[in-house]
Amino acid sequence: MVNVTIDDKQVTAPKTATIYEAAKLNGIKIPILCHDKKLKPFGACRMCLVEVEQMKGRQIPACTTPVTEGMIIRTSTPDIIKARKMVLELLLLNHPLDCPVCDKSGDCDLQNLTYEYKVNTNRFKDEKFHHSIDYNNPLIERDMNRCVLCGKCARICDEIVSFGALTFIDRGIETKIGCEFDDALNCEFCGSCISVCPVGSLLARPFKHKARFWALTKHTSVCGYCGTGCNLTLGVKDNKVLTTIYDENQGFHKGQLCVRGRFGYQFINSSQRLTSPLVRKNGKLMETSWDEALELVAGRLKNGTSVAALATPRLTNEELALFKTLLLENVGTKNFDHSAGFAHSALTEGFVRSFGESASSASILDIQKSDMLLVIKTDSYETHPVVGFEVNMAVKNKGVKLAIISDKRGKLSKLPDATTLVHRPGCEVAILNAIAKTIIDEKLFVDTASTVPGYAEIVKALSEFSAESVAAQSGLAAADIKKLASEYATAEKALIVFPVGQGYAGHNADLASATANLAILTGKYGKEGCGVLCLSEKSNSQGAVDMGFYAQDGGLNGLQILDACVSGTVKTLFIAGEDPLTSYPDRTKVKAALDAVEFLVVSELFLTETAAMADVVLPACSFAEKEGTFTSTDRRVQYIKPAIRKNAQTKTDYEIFSDLITCLGGQAAVTPAEKFSEIAEHAPGYTGLSHIILRKDGAFATAATKPAFVVPKATPSPATENGKFALVTGSVLYHNGTLSQYGEGPMHVCPEGYLELSRTDASAYKIADNDLITVASAAGSMQLKAKVSSRMPAGVVFAPYHFSSAPINTIWTGSPVTMVTVAK
Amino acid sequence: MNPITPIINGMKITFKHMFLKPVTLQYPTERPKVSQRFRGLHGLKVSHSKAKCVACYLCPTVCPAKCITVEAAEDANHDKYASVYEIDMLRCIFCGYCVEACPVDALKMTGEFELANYHRQDFIYSKERLLEK
Repeated sequence: MVNVTIDDKQVTAPKTATIYEAAKLNGIKIPILCHDKKLKPFGACRMCLVEVEQMKGRQIPACTTPVTEGMIIRTSTPDIIKARKMVLELLLLNHPLDCPVCDKSGDCDLQNLTYEYKVNTNRFKDEKFHHSIDYNNPLIERDMNRCVLCGKCARICDEIVSFGALTFIDRGIETKIGCEFDDALNCEFCGSCISVCPVGSLLARPFKHKARFWALTKHTSVCGYCGTGCNLTLGVKDNKVLTTIYDENQGFHKGQLCVRGRFGYQFINSSQRLTSPLVRKNGKLMETSWDEALELVAGRLKNGTSVAALATPRLTNEELALFKTLLLENVGTKNFDHSAGFAHSALTEGFVRSFGESASSASILDIQKSDMLLVIKTDSYETHPVVGFEVNMAVKNKGVKLAIISDKRGKLSKLPDATTLVHRPGCEVAILNAIAKTIIDEKLFVDTASTVPGYAEIVKALSEFSAESVAAQSGLAAADIKKLASEYATAEKALIVFPVGQGYAGHNADLASATANLAILTGKYGKEGCGVLCLSEKSNSQGAVDMGFYAQDGGLNGLQILDACVSGTVKTLFIAGEDPLTSYPDRTKVKAALDAVEFLVVSELFLTETAAMADVVLPACSFAEKEGTFTSTDRRVQYIKPAIRKNAQTKTDYEIFSDLITCLGGQAAVTPAEKFSEIAEHAPGYTGLSHIILRKDGAFATAATKPAFVVPKATPSPATENGKFALVTGSVLYHNGTLSQYGEGPMHVCPEGYLELSRTDASAYKIADNDLITVASAAGSMQLKAKVSSRMPAGVVFAPYHFSSAPINTIWTGSPVTMVTVAK
Repeated sequence: MNPITPIINGMKITFKHMFLKPVTLQYPTERPKVSQRFRGLHGLKVSHSKAKCVACYLCPTVCPAKCITVEAAEDANHDKYASVYEIDMLRCIFCGYCVEACPVDALKMTGEFELANYHRQDFIYSKERLLEK
């Protein structure tokens, strides 16, 4: 800490702070346009000029000058104010005065400063800019006439998003922000550039002219898409969520969002939302009253063990706990599950046996504190983009080493010095086992490892996974595997990250155990910057596991429930928010199950394909309309409250379950807050938490690790056949689950399913981008648009699973790798 | 005081008025001439055959009676215009703040004061009714 005097006030600040940061820390405001706390200092705008006595009263920029001991700083002498006025005059010389039509008005740094410094005349004269405005992009509108060249957009795109879509182009007075060759913007559309723009140069097109900034009510919430647990500020007007608002102080990610979080909110107020309960009468879904619908459902739920339920992990903890109570106590069935029964197995089986707890042994915050990251599948960026930003920052700012084991290259492979081992699909577990074996062979493990239960078994079981044999099998070089093993083992701190989800059937309990073995062998768990982080797919996937909402004690799991529907043992199926027809493997089987089941109840926001097959459809509420808690992938429990009033004809899932309990003669449910105190008593790690405690920043549920070695089963990857491609499924950056199909932003960028294939294969089959190609597997065939990319290795094709219009489960039956043929 | 004096004074005034112009206006056959600064019904000014209003939302923001509804939209030239501009005359207090706030001088208050109507709905003046003729 150093002592400095700012405006005659004695203050202390950290040694690394700049004058700007020191002043801000001590409540002294220095005006600035080009600074964001996530970005490196730049010094472009010259608004933050201050005088430092030791520097002979020269005016120096506060944002780039570090504090030194004994500095005497003045932030607002008459000279400085004069200089700042001049800066504003010069900016306003070229900045168009179109505040009435500019959507930034009210939230504009330049406007606020102009007002504050009373710059109402201009001594200079010049022409305004005549840059052409990019109206064509559906998400980001670029008007370079308004730009003040602070460079924040270009810097955030480079430093955090690591895409580098925007940069300064041209020189001198002609300088502007643009894309390469002044072309159209074609990026990830995360909108980070919009969030930091101090003026109206970059604007969110979906929000254009919708409302003025000052008319919006700001509601903090937690994003309802993936499991990262990003905090959101929703801008609400007239009971409609119109936009998301940037707040650099929000959450671990400091307001940073991905395309889904920032642009995918439209499903909340979609006109397609269900507004009334529907009951099937004479083969058609007809609107009905809640009383009739609930009575009908309650009547069917009396059938005990012939009832089964599937819930989406987008429900809150309270809802899942109440649903479980309803099923166990009032209905009397153990047949309930979520996420197709396999997407959570890494946690519920893998981590339980390896770490003694169904949770990751690391948090997202560990990423930047680590020395080495081992990422399984480059898809970690696509499934959890904001976690990806953390990886970007760790690698680029903190010099963290990045190694990736993946079946294709991806955005993460492009990071500086990232090593990507591209292997044949489906060999992840074998490769991890080979790494473990190398660590054992080369005696790189810690002494305590041999005392961990299961050590002898694992040494024996790994004998067949020599680096050489696995290398031959997976298409890697043995030396690379060995090098990775020694790098991982010798790094002081190392963290393993892997995504799970309905598109990643191979990321199962065995993969979790294989990664856990590495961490346990090298003692890299339970410490800062170490451990294994499993990225769970949806906003409350970890919560669903913590609430115990999965098949246990002989209950049927997700896929078994569907089998039981076909065989007739399950007669009533209650689906809360899932869309198995699109997102579960093997569409034919799912369809047969939903056809066969006698009574199908679906509570949903939209009339999905699954809901359209139901006997009763109950209109439910989105995350913006309910109260409860979400547990993020690293077990941060966060509180959400309604941002808008729900439609009077819809009920939250909590109310639906509560009403059903009453219909079945049970005791009416308590409020969500009281339900959460019940949860806190029972759920491991939740002790002491309550809605009141969680209201502000949320809190981590603790996890205690009890390590054990488990022999992971390595399923051999399917043999390559001539003329066949290995199809791997997964998530695409712009979507999460099937819900994002109802968000306009994601659908603008990625409106339909596709098949991504390598350039080599494309040229061999004479396939060009957007060609319609027929993809066939043993299960069926379908038509998909082709997307030719340089990241796919030859012989491997990738397809996302989110789309009802192109359901990949027509050809995918749940195996990690499916052999398919491709024809034009 | 002489009891006759007040009567004489009173009659003086009476007789004086016999030679002055009458104050009473024979409304509706005769109509008042309102002052230039009279604050009557609003009018949306037109320039280049379209409304000058750019839908900046300053009038609904400043309106103390919250009687103005504006909805902005983008036209074919990507210019911002008011797709909806409504004033609820039952709520309006004719303070003129909206005119004062307008940054593009698109709004005025006319001399029109005959705003009586039969239905509540008729008091909501849409953009078409407000456009100056």
